[in-house]
Amino acid sequence: MLLKIYLKELKDCFRDRRTLFLTVLLPIVMMTGLTFFYEQLVSGDEGETYTLAVDQSFGKEEEKILAGFDNIDIVKSSDPEKTLEDGDAAAALVLSPDFISKIESGQEASVTMVGDSFSQKSSNLMSLVSNALSIYEKTVISERLQAQGTDLKLIQPFTIDQKEMSEEDPNINLIAMLIPLILSIAIGIGAGPAASDLFAGEKERKTMEALLMTPVKRPTLLFAKWLTIATIGAVTGIITLIVVAIEINLLTENLRKAVSFGDNAGLVIGFGVLVSVIYAMFTASLLMLTSVIGKTVKESQSYSTPIMMLAVFPTMITTGIGVNELSFQHFAIPVLNLFSLLKELLFGVINYEHILITIASNLICMIIIFIIGRILFLKDKWVMN
Amino acid sequence: MIEINEVTKQFQDKKKFVTALKHVSFSVNKGEVVGLLGENGAGKTTLLRTIATLLQPTDGTVTVSGYDTIKNPNEIKKRIGVLFGGETGLYDRLTARENLEYFAVLYGLSKHETKVRIDDLAKMFGMRDYLDRKVGGFSKGMRQKVSIARTLIHNPDIILFDEPTTGLDITSSNVFRQLVHQLKREGKTILFSSHIMEEVSMLCDSVAMMHKGELVYHGNLQELYQSEGSSDLNYIFMSKLVRGNENYAS
Repeated sequence: MLLKIYLKELKDCFRDRRTLFLTVLLPIVMMTGLTFFYEQLVSGDEGETYTLAVDQSFGKEEEKILAGFDNIDIVKSSDPEKTLEDGDAAAALVLSPDFISKIESGQEASVTMVGDSFSQKSSNLMSLVSNALSIYEKTVISERLQAQGTDLKLIQPFTIDQKEMSEEDPNINLIAMLIPLILSIAIGIGAGPAASDLFAGEKERKTMEALLMTPVKRPTLLFAKWLTIATIGAVTGIITLIVVAIEINLLTENLRKAVSFGDNAGLVIGFGVLVSVIYAMFTASLLMLTSVIGKTVKESQSYSTPIMMLAVFPTMITTGIGVNELSFQHFAIPVLNLFSLLKELLFGVINYEHILITIASNLICMIIIFIIGRILFLKDKWVMN
Repeated sequence: MIEINEVTKQFQDKKKFVTALKHVSFSVNKGEVVGLLGENGAGKTTLLRTIATLLQPTDGTVTVSGYDTIKNPNEIKKRIGVLFGGETGLYDRLTARENLEYFAVLYGLSKHETKVRIDDLAKMFGMRDYLDRKVGGFSKGMRQKVSIARTLIHNPDIILFDEPTTGLDITSSNVFRQLVHQLKREGKTILFSSHIMEEVSMLCDSVAMMHKGELVYHGNLQELYQSEGSSDLNYIFMSKLVRGNENYAS
């Protein structure tokens, strides 16, 4: 009986164009958009050139300061700041008159840099020009000290050697933020309409009364409907993962380089799918509860929308945390544990204890929510309008 | 067949208790067609839902075919068909056949029984032409026929209709009336609520009149006409309500 009700509910849901759109098409569109956005973000300034406005007096000697920075194009102007304001340059560099000859003769000279820190392009250019000026400044200091016979080691007492603990590509952190975020949103959006329709919708259309009039036990109906919502959520989640895997592999360069699971690829993908299914089941329980409480589809959606919004917040917690810093609570709190576990998996870490904690905490919460739903569904007040 | 004994039903509305049924008692015999009359809020739907086991009485008992609604709801569900409204309880994205097959499964019919029953009902209601079309595109009349067929899919002995012709056009209402005649000939027990006095007059053997949750009259329709000296059910109903109001005030 359970299987027959479940199959009918699935057939009914997948005939709904809205469910089809949200389950299949939306994840594809969302993932494509975000994958390309992140790819562009990580490849960012590669090959990009910036225009720097300088004074007409900016000569060959001054240009040597910027030698080695091939991505800086110089444009001469009688009023560099005006050129910047007009949008013809990303930043302006104004040197005091006779800049090079003053430096060479040991006189005081000044540099003014003008830019727009709200513009990414302008900030990048100012950073490049600052670097160039720092290098030039160090060269001048070295030359002056050498001229006085001073050992250069005096101004460089030690060297700094910075090493990365993780050998992973830094872009993997972006993917570890992107995938759980989209996955949690996609599962919520995909399963939402079906959840609202299967309880609140049935109450609104009065098919619920017809169902309750049959000799089928209410818990059987409840479980079949929950299973339908969980299946739609899981299908949405798996489609999302497949789409992101295909797009990263075929359509990106930087993100593809970042994802490399080595010998663990099969296990990482397998656990990724498992945790998505578990999350879909947990979300289905929450959505089921909002739909049981709602008298109409609209009312049910007004309860479920804020709950689904909560799924966005864990990304703010896990983004700033390293994989080695993830602890028990990150895996014990539902929703947060989806982000934490996927982050670990994407970094190629398979920690069975963390996987078990994640599954157990989701199952416990799911059972509690399901019991509350069952109690409500057995009461007339919540099943009939 | 249906025994309603001192039934009281209270609902809790925030901190207040609202009494929807007050000590209602009457019975419906096998093969009888009984009309349930009353204004909006009189308690007709609550009573039908209580008989249908969807609601539990706060006090009193309801038995259907000898089974208590609280102790044996599933035995009752197997024996009754219920239609709330004229054209409700259908899944728009399924075809008429799929709707009927689904409810046949829920009532435990075998594949063969389901096929035979759907063929019979399709013939009875003239639904063959649109049996395999999705219900979402149906007219009110077509939906009503499928809804009634869904109610009768398990061939119940007792049928409850709650305002079955409300909002339906004259053709669809006539389909319902012909069906009640046919079911009556088959010996089915029918209890239906209605606002339409002509319909009740035309179809029923007995009437039960309700006012503010109380039963103000129950009896044979012909006897009622004789005792009131009129065959105008509308007039009789209004005068019963006025008397009910007077009793209520006193």
